[in-house]
Amino acid sequence: MIGAHVAGLAGHHGERDLDKRQNEADRTRMALRSQDSGRHSMYLATALQGELLADAANASMKRFGVVPTPDNYMLWYEYHAGNNAVLRGTMDVFASNGTGFDDNVLHDLHETFISAAREAEIIRDTSKSIQEALRSLIEVAQRAGSDADDFSASLTRLAARQFGDTKDSLRDLVGQLVQESHKMAGKSQSTTAEIRDSSEKIETLERNLAKALAEARTDGLTGAANRKAFDSTIRRLAGDAMNSGDELALLMVDADRFKRVNDTWGHQVGDEVLRHIAATLKRSVRGQDFVARYGGEEFAVLLPFTNTESAMSVAENVRMALLRDPLQLQLTPPMNPLTVSIGVASYEPGDPLAEWIGRADAALYKAKQEGRDRVRCA
Amino acid sequence: MTPVNPVAQSIFCLLTDDSPTVRRVARRFLEGSEYEIDEAENGQAALDKCAVRLPDVVLLDWNMPVMNGLESLRAMREKYGRQKPRVVLCTTESGVDYIRDAVTHGADDYIIKPFDAKVLRSKLAGVLK
Repeated sequence: MIGAHVAGLAGHHGERDLDKRQNEADRTRMALRSQDSGRHSMYLATALQGELLADAANASMKRFGVVPTPDNYMLWYEYHAGNNAVLRGTMDVFASNGTGFDDNVLHDLHETFISAAREAEIIRDTSKSIQEALRSLIEVAQRAGSDADDFSASLTRLAARQFGDTKDSLRDLVGQLVQESHKMAGKSQSTTAEIRDSSEKIETLERNLAKALAEARTDGLTGAANRKAFDSTIRRLAGDAMNSGDELALLMVDADRFKRVNDTWGHQVGDEVLRHIAATLKRSVRGQDFVARYGGEEFAVLLPFTNTESAMSVAENVRMALLRDPLQLQLTPPMNPLTVSIGVASYEPGDPLAEWIGRADAALYKAKQEGRDRVRCA
Repeated sequence: MTPVNPVAQSIFCLLTDDSPTVRRVARRFLEGSEYEIDEAENGQAALDKCAVRLPDVVLLDWNMPVMNGLESLRAMREKYGRQKPRVVLCTTESGVDYIRDAVTHGADDYIIKPFDAKVLRSKLAGVLK
């Protein structure tokens, strides 16, 4: 019943993107089957089916801009094989909602439907390293004698806990471990060095885990969020704004005459300019605001709970901050003061996101047309 | 109540969301076409309305007070079967787990908020085919 119903999910919409190639493959297979009445027909059909499925999987991965890694390939192959109706239904939702398949979605899909193997492996490895560190800490603490009794007891308690079944519990555990070691390091002189050494190792593990998760969403040059992070954040914030009815504003910020900077002083100076703008933007906004490098010399800033008027004054602050704290470079010939043009637009619930971004871009264009170094709203 | 301008075969659509903004936007996108619209502000209220008159299609938020969308969906499927009403989940939840659960429990489709007019109309038309 569930299966039949779920199969309908893909069916309701006629030929969905993901289905088109599948239908071609089905037709070809049927044609081949009816032509070939020889004794090898079943074998041939099976072999051909595998090949056609592979083609269909490759074609639709390409259409959605999905990198054909073995993991992704497995997902798409399963989709086109059609044996898992819930997988099909779930992937159809992503295909038809314009969210696309970003790395997080692909990862979750793989974990949910193909196997939990890979993440489990990473967690297992990290857990193992932490356990080793924990064991050596316990040894040190025991050698330190009564001074470290409390510490030793805490460690033993931690070690007895179920280790890292999820990223969060692992992080939680590492956090407690670091805390305990810091406490202990303060208490005992004789063992301080050894304990500091071990707790540093643990902190490094913790940092590596957090860093790997953050890097995928950061622009390497400027340290601002990257385009991928922007695309998912704008959806999330607009969804929240649609639910709550709260205001949400967008600034599109573009460096003035940036091409001239690159042409005159070279790309390294261009890079400095971009880093300076990113830093100025981050300084000029609140913690809940979101700064991203949108592309090239263009930055985007999302301002939750902010109406157009307030967004205009945030933008004006950014513009002024850049004039107040200019980029300090000794250049020949000297560079004119660095300025930006900014376009502002507010989200209206129900607006297509591309249209909203387009309005902010049009306002930015207007600011450029009217002489640069200014703020305009849609 | 008879609509002022009754359409030959109007489609009865129940907008279920605790957000007045979402209900207002969805109503604006659907009104004036073949849809006859009613609203409910949580999963239980939607079930109450179903008991009076079964909608052709329900747009169903996930996170709502009193009764959430998934519970409401399960109750509808238990009581009315899988054909009618058609149910489209409409939520900010975009996790694979959520979508899998909705699909498993008989959602006909799933909209990840925010939606625009085109997405809403095509998804509803899609499940009503």
